[in-house]
Amino acid sequence: MLTTTRRGVMAGGAAMLAGMAVGQDAQAQSRRILVMASNQDIPNFDPHVANGYSASMALRNTYDSLVGVAGNPPKPVPQLAQSWTISDDGREYTFKLDPAAKFHDGSPVNAEAVKYSFNRLLRLNRGNAWMIAGVVDQNSVEAIDATTVRIKLVTPFVPFLSVLPWVWIVNPAQVEANKGSDDGQAWLRSNLAGSGAFRLRRAEAGNLYEFERVADAWRQGGGNLTGAIWKITRETATQRLMVQRGEAQIAVDLTSEDMDSLKGRSGVNLVIEPEYRTFSMKMNTRHGPLRDANLRRAIACAFNYQGMLDVAGYAELMQGPFPESIDGFDKELPIYRTDLARAKEFLAKSSTPNGGIKITVAHVSGLEQQRRWALVLLDSLRALNIELDIKPMIWPDMVSAARSPETTPDIFMVYQTANYGDPDNLAFAGYHSSRNGGWQNPTYANPEVDALLTQARAESDAEKRRALYVRFQRVLMEDSPDIFGVLEKRKLAMRNNVQGFAFTPVASNAIDLFPLSLG
Amino acid sequence: MVGYILRRLLLLVPVLLGLSMLVFAIARLLPGDPVALAAGPNATAADVASVAREFGLDQPLVVQYWNYLTGLFRGDWGVSIFTRRPVAEDLAAYLPATLELVLAAMLLAIGIGIPLGLMAAVFRNTWPDFLARTVSLGAISMPRFFLGLVFQLLFAMWLGWLPLSGRFPLTEDPPPHITGMLTVDALLSGQFHAFGVALSYLALPAIAMCLSPLATIMRMMRASTIEVLQQDYVLTERALGLSQRLILFKYVLKNAISATLTVIGLYFGWLLGGTVLVETVFDWPGIGLYATQAVLTQDFMPIIGVTLCIGAIFVTVNLVVDMLYGLLNPKVRYQ
Amino acid sequence: MSSTTAHPRLESWRRGLYRFRQSWVSVLGLLIVSVLLVLAIGGQHLAPYPQHIAGLVDTSARLQAPSTTYWFGTNELGQDVFSLVVAGTRISLLAGMAVVIVGAAFGVFVGAIAGFLGGWVDEVLMRLADLKLTVPGLILAMAVAAALGPGIVNMVFAIALSWWPGYARLVRGEVMAKREETFVLASRAMGAGTNRLLWKHILPNIMSPIIVKMSLDMGFAILTVASLGFIGIGVKPPTPEWGSLLSVARVNMPDYWWTAIFPGLAIFMAVFGFNLLGDGLRDLLDPKARR
Repeated sequence: MLTTTRRGVMAGGAAMLAGMAVGQDAQAQSRRILVMASNQDIPNFDPHVANGYSASMALRNTYDSLVGVAGNPPKPVPQLAQSWTISDDGREYTFKLDPAAKFHDGSPVNAEAVKYSFNRLLRLNRGNAWMIAGVVDQNSVEAIDATTVRIKLVTPFVPFLSVLPWVWIVNPAQVEANKGSDDGQAWLRSNLAGSGAFRLRRAEAGNLYEFERVADAWRQGGGNLTGAIWKITRETATQRLMVQRGEAQIAVDLTSEDMDSLKGRSGVNLVIEPEYRTFSMKMNTRHGPLRDANLRRAIACAFNYQGMLDVAGYAELMQGPFPESIDGFDKELPIYRTDLARAKEFLAKSSTPNGGIKITVAHVSGLEQQRRWALVLLDSLRALNIELDIKPMIWPDMVSAARSPETTPDIFMVYQTANYGDPDNLAFAGYHSSRNGGWQNPTYANPEVDALLTQARAESDAEKRRALYVRFQRVLMEDSPDIFGVLEKRKLAMRNNVQGFAFTPVASNAIDLFPLSLG
Repeated sequence: MVGYILRRLLLLVPVLLGLSMLVFAIARLLPGDPVALAAGPNATAADVASVAREFGLDQPLVVQYWNYLTGLFRGDWGVSIFTRRPVAEDLAAYLPATLELVLAAMLLAIGIGIPLGLMAAVFRNTWPDFLARTVSLGAISMPRFFLGLVFQLLFAMWLGWLPLSGRFPLTEDPPPHITGMLTVDALLSGQFHAFGVALSYLALPAIAMCLSPLATIMRMMRASTIEVLQQDYVLTERALGLSQRLILFKYVLKNAISATLTVIGLYFGWLLGGTVLVETVFDWPGIGLYATQAVLTQDFMPIIGVTLCIGAIFVTVNLVVDMLYGLLNPKVRYQ
Repeated sequence: MSSTTAHPRLESWRRGLYRFRQSWVSVLGLLIVSVLLVLAIGGQHLAPYPQHIAGLVDTSARLQAPSTTYWFGTNELGQDVFSLVVAGTRISLLAGMAVVIVGAAFGVFVGAIAGFLGGWVDEVLMRLADLKLTVPGLILAMAVAAALGPGIVNMVFAIALSWWPGYARLVRGEVMAKREETFVLASRAMGAGTNRLLWKHILPNIMSPIIVKMSLDMGFAILTVASLGFIGIGVKPPTPEWGSLLSVARVNMPDYWWTAIFPGLAIFMAVFGFNLLGDGLRDLLDPKARR
């Protein structure tokens, strides 16, 4: 039983394609296999359960969704849905499916499949369900006919099309046949029921995953890859060397020092692009000395932003809660920069005018960049006569600590990645009080901000929406709940024989294999 | 003899039972809450509670232990909270890699350590002996992870003689899965090219692992050989004119190796639990890496599984070693 | 009367000392350990850049190669590697010593009771010790330290948990042997109670093997502390523990090799020195092991 399970994935895919010997023959001819080096494993292939960028990579290539995302800035592009219309009030979306779309077992991807998939995602309430939570419910998705799907939103949600690439469509017949007692989770964990251009050939947990192109995939076009390998390489130095030596074609976890080391080497292209990944230090606004807004402002002014940038490598300082490229970014936002005089002024107005206190900062142990920034913070706080206690915690502990203001550390370091290119993602997750108790926004709650954000996500007039977000950013600067840190640039190293790669600032490390070719 | 074996086998049961209880208690009583993490970044309190219920974590500890124990016999070693994969499956996938590494390291350690120890004993108190003793102490003192890094730098990056990390080249298909140990599988299926390739990947990590047991086995061998050489019966035989070499073969090897056997038994378990550092440096997907991952996500089921697995192997190996020792030295059996 | 019979212990010490001096490896060990002790006691005062040890950074001087200003170069935060390594000496030595002492104390206590009382107490305690031995030490230490959180105290506790069985077995065996000796029977006949017998009479006589084991274990304790630090479990920043210094620096190989090589060499020298010393001490104190 145990021996076959490792082969079970391949068996699952191959068995479904009984008689499709053509694919395997073609491969033997000329193999163009793209090797990607990453340090994240793919423990779960269930599209409605898994999360993490490695899972996203696997899923976006083996499954399809209604729309895809491409371009810089990112825009929705047709995938399973050839076209769509949106009602005037923004609450009804009608999608026309591509009639050629079919699953790996030959059955068509129809409206029923879409409905089944959405409902399964909502039922399980795991994985990416949070993206449509409160927006779509069990009655929202209707199959009008075989190729038409209508989705009636519960509340208006402007970024709806941006979240759809992460809602994948599964083959209802296959899932139902292997439903078991847990809605098919055990089966889908290591078997595929998708329609994507690739399927899984070999899975070695903790080591590598090999994909191969499906012989008669329904999607036309794309690159010339016959297969791809996602190799788990835990050391970034090893990833770097693999790309240098051509053993891997793409490395996704390199540090700035790694990129510097690769500069100028023949055969290697460096992709260093700004993205929507923010890093901030969130302060505990409900418990402890940082309840005091003046103290928070003092710290924000005392922090050595230049020092942070120096050790951050390829990055830019944040100019507020949003990255510059996001629609709604306020260019005139008055941000805090290192200004000791101003810091001391704020400190004098606070409840501890001479400092003399000790605060704690928590960071994820093992994340080197966070450790460096914690030390920069320690250094900066000396000027205010504030002592810093650095606590490296393992991630589960940080998540637990965020549950209540009493257990949340005074300063909480967190990376936030926008899963979709809309300001709502970062703003709502990071500053709406409904997220209190979670790691994305442990303590900050301001009813004015809540109202602004709720209004903004439903506002379909672009101008009005932008104005709401500008107002939101101003209120935020006044409250100063975070020390805004840096936007690390996405760093990918690629061999120069990889063609067809176009950078998109959303999920760029979840490599989309479809358009790629090896020259 | 049979009674001795049976007695020892019977003793295995309470030992393993006690081990499972101990390990379970420690892992479950440790502070930490992996459920919040497993429920996902946007989970509500109700979601977290439902995940807890899903894993039976809301039941009293004793009940949890009983469920776990009965599950063990069914082949259900629990499920990882984080990845939701059965621990038994993961163990089956990761264990052979570590076994391969440990076996290779032990083979190297024995193959080089025993002759070196003999030599050191025979040339006692001369410079080869001092050199061997100092170098062996140095070998024990060298942190494995540091050595691994240096090896990687030297042999893989600069000289390019051996591969950097991993078990097998990516784009080639590995030999068919029989034991999970690539070198063994390659040999068993007659794929000699694959065997050579797998061996080149195994080389550096195995060498990094073998130094400690090698040094200890060498010292052990040296010490017991010297002791044997000084025994009365040996001196008598020498006086009677028997050649040194014959004496060595007749007594030394037999008695010295039996003492070394115990060391081997001890080291096997120790190595099995100590591969973490080398696996990290060389990206060797073994249970050390698996356990580290589990520790860092506070996933106690895999931690319990790994600890139990290694403990069980250790106890079994010790049993085998004891029985072999008993075979070699009949006096032991009747204690 | 010759002086040898009047003070036999003193004589054996003198002879041992002579042998110790003769063995140059033991002397080398003593030398290394002395240097380490000096560094550990001197700590910050011996370091050219004590502010870096406290966690201050100097981001303009990042990743500079070894030079006359920075003997071991600087790391990714501009901190002087030499100062960090020197400061790390105290931490590693203290932590190693703590592990050995705590482990030994607990182990001696358990072993003494088991050996002296015998019977079912002995059985239970020894089974427990055996059980402990079967659990893989490093993994257990990792799990416990990770769960308890960062900090030297937690780490020492986690490692000492796996350390005590060795001492327990050693002491139990010795106590059992000594229990039947004449001086014990005589003391008992004179009315000495159990406690007095155990702690005042027996234990002092078995100190030698315990001390030998402690000195031999010191090297391994330092290595285990460094191993945990390497994995990233144990100390919290800005504590410059050697293992975590090496762990952070391994991504810098080979370009900024000095950030990794020097902490690694420091670990090696410390463990090597203690092992040499331990070997020498064993020759000194434990005549049975003498060759």
